[in-house]
Amino acid sequence: MLDMLRQYVSGYVALTNEEFTFLADKIVVRNLDRKHQLVLAGEVEQYMNFVVKGLVRMYFYRGKTEVITTIAKEGELIGSSASFLSGAPSSYYVETLEPTVLLSLTREDLDRIYQQSTRIEKLGRLMTTQFVLQKEEWELGCMRLNTRERFLRFVENNPDLMQRVPQKYLASYLNMKPETFSRLKQLLRKRPPVTKTIYR
Amino acid sequence: MTRTSTTTYKVALDKLHHYLSAYVPLSKQEFSQLLPYIEIREYDKKVKVIREGEIERYLNIISSGLARKYLPLKNNEITIQLATEGHIIHSELSFHNRIPSGSVVETIEPTVFFSISYDNLEQMYDQFPKIERLGRLLISELFVKKDSRYFDQLNKNTRERFLEYIRTHPQMMQRVPQKYIASYLNIKPETFSRLKHLIRSKRS
Repeated sequence: MLDMLRQYVSGYVALTNEEFTFLADKIVVRNLDRKHQLVLAGEVEQYMNFVVKGLVRMYFYRGKTEVITTIAKEGELIGSSASFLSGAPSSYYVETLEPTVLLSLTREDLDRIYQQSTRIEKLGRLMTTQFVLQKEEWELGCMRLNTRERFLRFVENNPDLMQRVPQKYLASYLNMKPETFSRLKQLLRKRPPVTKTIYR
Repeated sequence: MTRTSTTTYKVALDKLHHYLSAYVPLSKQEFSQLLPYIEIREYDKKVKVIREGEIERYLNIISSGLARKYLPLKNNEITIQLATEGHIIHSELSFHNRIPSGSVVETIEPTVFFSISYDNLEQMYDQFPKIERLGRLLISELFVKKDSRYFDQLNKNTRERFLEYIRTHPQMMQRVPQKYIASYLNIKPETFSRLKHLIRSKRS
């Protein structure tokens, strides 16, 4: 399990064994059922989580409608990040979609580790930068692409999620009506997309 | 930086020192060690600081003035950010990933930037552990702000977004052309005008 985390981390900073152990010592393994709520809106997020196995979604309620903003799978980080970073109450709910195994680190432990290791602090900076860039990319993508283009880009990048995630959740995540999602999916079946566009 | 510019910009530099110390306390000496890495760039109003297709070389902190970032589209443009004194503005995807910029940064008022090039920033991180912390905290704050804006766009209606913005940014209403604020808030210009009149008649 830790190997997976190590590999992920090495994409940002090459840590020595000692440095990685430093981090690993504080990590809690959490085995969760499906539909387990990790954070509720109004609570302060205490953990940053790395998904070893399973699927997790983050969402909020607009009136009575759930709006999904993130879906995280194996090898990705999940948590109510803004709350985790600021200590302010979360605007979002975080909930498992499948039975899930997480490697989790608390805010207190992470802050303590930062104090002791500049290299891990660098890791924190680079990962947070990546969060910012992903948000920017997503936001610009939403402005640039129409519904159909958003759908096609998603299918191309996440063929596995099409199988694993209930359709209504994917529609919510892509900010489109479930009917539109179904229609676009039918279209796909008839004529697989051949165009490859670079989006940034 | 030359001696004359250091003198000319003394007030601005003091402000920068103060600004950075809010994240990580820096002594006078520590701060002065950073100065060789920071450029001061001055622009007139309505100047494009980074254009679409260029690679962003700088991270800019606004010392004085006002700038916006926008996304040019086929038939229109969308304002993504309005930045003023103390804010960071640049084409971040281009800066960090070293790819051509999809967005444009343009000054609205005459603007002075403290600018740090990509290479200088990397060097600063390598040489000063305190800057590593400063960078992490600054970026965390950026993320939190971005998330909150994104959340508001999804969760609040037009009227709520308008009211919230004028409550939290009263000075921007005076300084920024209305069409840019409307675009930033994702509100049609006509709707924006109507909402503005509503406020005025309520007050009188």
